[in-house]
Amino acid sequence: MHLSKDRIGGLLILLFCLVYAWQSQNIRLLPFQLNSAFHARTMPEVLAVLGIGLSLLVIVFPSSRDTLSLRGLNWPLGLAFLVLMSIYGLAVRPVGFLLATSLFLMIGFAMLGERNIARLVLVAVPLVVLFWVLMNYGLSVFIEPLPAFLRS
Amino acid sequence: MLDGILIGLSTAFTFQNILFVIMGCLVGTFIGMLPGLGPMSAIALMIPIAASLEPSAGIILMAAVYYGAIFGGSTSSILINAPGVASTVATSFDGYPMAKSGKAGKALAIAAYSSFSGGVIAALMLLIAAPYLASVSLAFQSTDYFALMVLGLSAVAAFAGKGEVLKALLMTVVGLMLSTVGTDQTVGVPRFTLGMLDLVDGISFLLLVMATFALSEALMAIIKKIDEAKREEERKAAAQLGSMAVSKEEVKEMIPVIGRSSVLGFLIGVLPGAGATIASFLAYGTEQRIAGPVKGAEFGKGSVRGLSAPETANNAAATGSFVPLLTLGIPGSGTTAIMLGALIGYGIQPGPRLYLDQPDVFWSVIVSMWLGNIILLVLNLPLIPYIARVLAIPARFLLPLILFFSLIGVYFVSFNTFDIQLMVLFGLVATILRLLSFPMAPMILGFILGGMMEENLRRALLINNDSWSFLWERPLTLTILLIAAACLFVPMLSPFVARMRAKTKDVTSTGD
Repeated sequence: MHLSKDRIGGLLILLFCLVYAWQSQNIRLLPFQLNSAFHARTMPEVLAVLGIGLSLLVIVFPSSRDTLSLRGLNWPLGLAFLVLMSIYGLAVRPVGFLLATSLFLMIGFAMLGERNIARLVLVAVPLVVLFWVLMNYGLSVFIEPLPAFLRS
Repeated sequence: MLDGILIGLSTAFTFQNILFVIMGCLVGTFIGMLPGLGPMSAIALMIPIAASLEPSAGIILMAAVYYGAIFGGSTSSILINAPGVASTVATSFDGYPMAKSGKAGKALAIAAYSSFSGGVIAALMLLIAAPYLASVSLAFQSTDYFALMVLGLSAVAAFAGKGEVLKALLMTVVGLMLSTVGTDQTVGVPRFTLGMLDLVDGISFLLLVMATFALSEALMAIIKKIDEAKREEERKAAAQLGSMAVSKEEVKEMIPVIGRSSVLGFLIGVLPGAGATIASFLAYGTEQRIAGPVKGAEFGKGSVRGLSAPETANNAAATGSFVPLLTLGIPGSGTTAIMLGALIGYGIQPGPRLYLDQPDVFWSVIVSMWLGNIILLVLNLPLIPYIARVLAIPARFLLPLILFFSLIGVYFVSFNTFDIQLMVLFGLVATILRLLSFPMAPMILGFILGGMMEENLRRALLINNDSWSFLWERPLTLTILLIAAACLFVPMLSPFVARMRAKTKDVTSTGD
């Protein structure tokens, strides 16, 4: 079988639909719902059947025969950014907004090719401070600015 | 209606709201101009700010961002042949050749005048059509609403690209599936929470939109290697615009095109699922046919008509897509789907009751459309040479900033770091699906309509004593469902019919 982009996508979504269908059976039904025409499982079950059917159709009748080519794509950089974002999510609370965000931006700029350290700092830090001031005083959205050990 | 317009004027014409319209138009133009980022990302990035405002101000801000983003998309289409969104692809057909021949300023001015006229004429049509449609739809019951939502979802298929129907439908179902995550609204039973407390309230709409649009678009730009030579070319194009004057002959040529394309764009925009892209291509094709062989041959080489038609139509369609949103509570496009989500976040249920219960929101949106279009013309057009410098900001600074604004936008609403992790996961999946050419907008549409669809179906069954007979016994419900079925099956069957016809032709010609 020719593994086109459509077929890969169809297979991935089919897998998701199968897990969804399996999980839909874990939805707890209350006693009074057992004989009703519509209960908490109805919609998920219908959707699971539709999803499985449609993904099979996409696999069997793909709209194009284009194949996925990773050549020319810098996917390790994309993955590195995903890891960076995840670490930022974990760090923003304990490390504080100002430091965590400044580091996130500086590392991000550097990963995309900026090598001038002064420029890294001068773009990231004032922008983060300005953003924090704007959110805190302009829109009254408070976010802890400092690392945990510096908080009173 | 006059009372309504006055309510709208008094709400929209406050100092604060005018400021939001100006800000929205500028920010929208700025974001829309960045290749890869379209109106959906622009609005998504604005939601956290809009959420902190009162409903009418928030909606006015988002509507202004919407228009600004479309205008910005046209600018990057004309200057660097990089349409930010599909709806401005047709603009680049004639806008870019015009810019290449040293008339970038003129091309931008024609685009701005056409957008303005399309937007204003369509807003007038919206003003007339929306209240009428809203009063008619007051007679709708939950059974009809359920059918309308089915129609809204199936219309996605009708307007999906050639051969893309199945993928669009599949993505709609995925969106519907994601909408079932969280506590069941009626009986309070948790569904698909995997035992995680963070999922009890379901997946945040903002999180999903940010991850699938802003975040994944930035990630796509990161993984596609940046072409520095091309960036340099873009910087040069943005720096030299030339004169913005439009001659009398050109204006004469534009007027009938604008008239026709406005009506066409508006009507296409009203159809659920259609939207600005189809409108712009249809207007381009129609005008090329009307232009005749001499003028028609200029299309694609810098024709005034070829630039004016899609620009008018995409703005008119953007306005038209507000009709189903405001009157039926059904989004007409991916962008209005995001707006619907934002309205629901405010506790406002768009639909026929909106016209009666919250006339300030209803009318101020309509009035703000005029205001937005005027601002775009008066303020943005002269500022274009300066705003165009955004194209010169190096991608190495821009992309991490977009990622940061997406993440923090979601975090500032929930203050839950789990949301950031979930967003990263959705961003990864959305990027993979984008690489595999699966559309994202149908998923958002499915996600937003999913909850409402289930609720209306459940209510309909309750009213009908658990009997499904309402599906065929109530004429209005049945009619809407039949239209939905037609929307669904006609595009699916048309390739087979075309193939059958071609075969029959072959057989006949061989027989001859």
